Amino acid sequence: MKKILILIAILGIILSGCSPNNESFTSLFNGKDLANWEMPGEIPGFKVSGGIIIAEPPDGSDLFTERQYGNFIFKFEYLLSKVGNSGVLIRCNPEDPWGTGVEVQLLAPWTPYRDDLHCTGSIYGHVAVTNRPDETTGIWHKMEIKCDRKNMTISVDGQVTTVANIDTVESMKDKHLEGTIGFQSNHSEKGEFVHFRNISIRDMDANPEYVMKGFYEGAVRVRKQAHKAAETMGTPMIELLAQMLAEENPVTQAGAKQVLFDITAQSTASEVPKSKKKDVIKALKKSLKNCSSERVSGYLSWLLKMAKSSV
Amino acid sequence: MKRKAEINRRSFLRTTGIGLLGLPLLANTYTNVAPSDRIRVAHVGTGTMGGSHIDWFSAFPDVETVALCDVDKLRLAEARKSLTSCNPAANPDVYTDFRHIIDRNDIDVVTCATPDHWHALIAIMAFESGKDVYGEKPLSFSAKEGLVMKNALDRHDRIFQLGTQIHASDNYHRVAEIIQSGVLGKIHTVRLWKTGGTSGMGFPPNETPPETLDWNMWLGPAPYAEYTLVRCHGTYRSFFDYSGGVFADFWCHIADIMYMSVHPKGLTSIDARGEVPCDGIANTPKWIDVDFRFKDLDVYWTTTPPNVPGADKMHIGAHFEGEKGTLTCDYETRKITLGNESMDDISEVPQIIPRSPGHQRNFLDAVKSRNQPESNLEYAREMTLPMHLALISFRLKRKLTWDSINEKFINDPAANFLLSREYRSPWLLPVY
Repeated sequence: MKKILILIAILGIILSGCSPNNESFTSLFNGKDLANWEMPGEIPGFKVSGGIIIAEPPDGSDLFTERQYGNFIFKFEYLLSKVGNSGVLIRCNPEDPWGTGVEVQLLAPWTPYRDDLHCTGSIYGHVAVTNRPDETTGIWHKMEIKCDRKNMTISVDGQVTTVANIDTVESMKDKHLEGTIGFQSNHSEKGEFVHFRNISIRDMDANPEYVMKGFYEGAVRVRKQAHKAAETMGTPMIELLAQMLAEENPVTQAGAKQVLFDITAQSTASEVPKSKKKDVIKALKKSLKNCSSERVSGYLSWLLKMAKSSV
Repeated sequence: MKRKAEINRRSFLRTTGIGLLGLPLLANTYTNVAPSDRIRVAHVGTGTMGGSHIDWFSAFPDVETVALCDVDKLRLAEARKSLTSCNPAANPDVYTDFRHIIDRNDIDVVTCATPDHWHALIAIMAFESGKDVYGEKPLSFSAKEGLVMKNALDRHDRIFQLGTQIHASDNYHRVAEIIQSGVLGKIHTVRLWKTGGTSGMGFPPNETPPETLDWNMWLGPAPYAEYTLVRCHGTYRSFFDYSGGVFADFWCHIADIMYMSVHPKGLTSIDARGEVPCDGIANTPKWIDVDFRFKDLDVYWTTTPPNVPGADKMHIGAHFEGEKGTLTCDYETRKITLGNESMDDISEVPQIIPRSPGHQRNFLDAVKSRNQPESNLEYAREMTLPMHLALISFRLKRKLTWDSINEKFINDPAANFLLSREYRSPWLLPVY
């Protein structure tokens, strides 16, 4: 019996080890409507039909995620018509997508602009592809866009086409590190189109270990992004933050101290359900138990008192 | 001079009502003040501000500087040297622990220019030992401390002046006169601002404190922290453990003119927004904007000047909006607008508010007369309270509602928790 249990446990570990990628991607398209998406503007540029998102009218409005994303892997499939032209808008403010973010190009190869800086997979006008993808129109392709703090990686059909570090691309230095993700409406002539399906995202800012690494980054705005992500995540970050607070690193100490306060403060608001308040208290208590530094335990006890006051 | 005898002399003056009458006489005999009329002063905290205290007070012929105290022996030695070089007759005792001053019964006045987190306890212990206090702003580190200070002052029948020396200026008194005259109509909005905020201070490593500094005593009732230079002298206001940034540094100076002029009452809500720096260990506001709702008065604090004529040239200021006109001022200047006309003064408004003889003199006179000075403790406490509440709203990142009768936040226990802070052992905030 014991052996079977061990076997089951091992099997469980193997299975879970195989599937985290699939598990942590969230679908952004339900196949029926444009829930999770927004289309600002007067002429709708997109519609849903037969489980596919279709962009047809030229000059229609672009399609943006309701939520903002900082660090993520965004996956989808696309199919371009004969001279189709579209793109993916990354980390942008819908009011000024090209000023705030960048466009990853989706383009039929025989349109006028077809150099490596403007073809499918390029970061349009900023970073050229180094490994040109299959640009056959009329068939489905897979694209994956990874935004990992200052780095961007773009893959088409499983092959990396483009890598960029925004510190090394002068024109990308002031681009936002966070924003919505958008699809550009049909940017070609009337009658052309682009189709999208199987759209999903893995939000790396929802992963405590990933966010924790951001606290050690040198760039202020990258650290700020990690602090914000940690604050948004809340309770799952508390123990990691308490560990960082105990380290002899003034950068992480300062960050962890601030965000621990912010998470606790947030939990004390009157509209937060009691169960959530109790989760914060539990995590603070656990961190306190595992803490050996007087400085850290003093701070955690103080936060614990503040958290408890609101229950 | 024995302390007991001094008290008796003052009680006599107070009960017989000749204290005030005696003052002009004293003023004329400064050059030769009898020892029994001298005020024996001790200074706690001898840094930049404390140095000014020593200079200001020692310049009065009826003041004898009897003791200096600082947790930093270098600063203490410098302060003593500076005093004795200007005033060879001075021979103050020096201490690194203020409790030696508290324990002496031959000291009349303590001035306090320590970091904010020490203000309350030193003042309260001074009151309890029968001493009057000239204390630097802000009044206290926490809202609760202000209340305890007030109760201790009342119980021990002491005199207190907050060190807002700009209060004494003719400009502030004139602004108050003009506004109180009603010439601008009823004031419905006040805008206060101070440019600049906390910078991050970088990420210096922790160090061993210098041997000449008693770091544990510097921290006192504040939470334990390892020493780095920027936490200490001069830049400590960048840390919430000891103060509240540029906002806490300057609120009292400019909110003062609002309290002198319209004395807002009935605060109901506080809504602060802002940001902490992310480029260093400092954690007080890089910028802070606050909306306050008082009874019949809206007050706005901003880190950038408001959009009113002339404000963009002033790094600190107050702008009053009345039904008939506006007044914009800073420490030294004022500009009044009535209809299309703009002016510096309105001669028809009579001068009715008595002018201050100077902030320190006003305090010393109060020590003798036993009538509270202009920036007395209750005035200072009312004026400082909105600052504490704003910083709580800033830290909790939410709008707060306030019960001004019971002095508690409504429906926000965590905000109420932040009205006070437990002292680090062995220090205790006395109960009153």
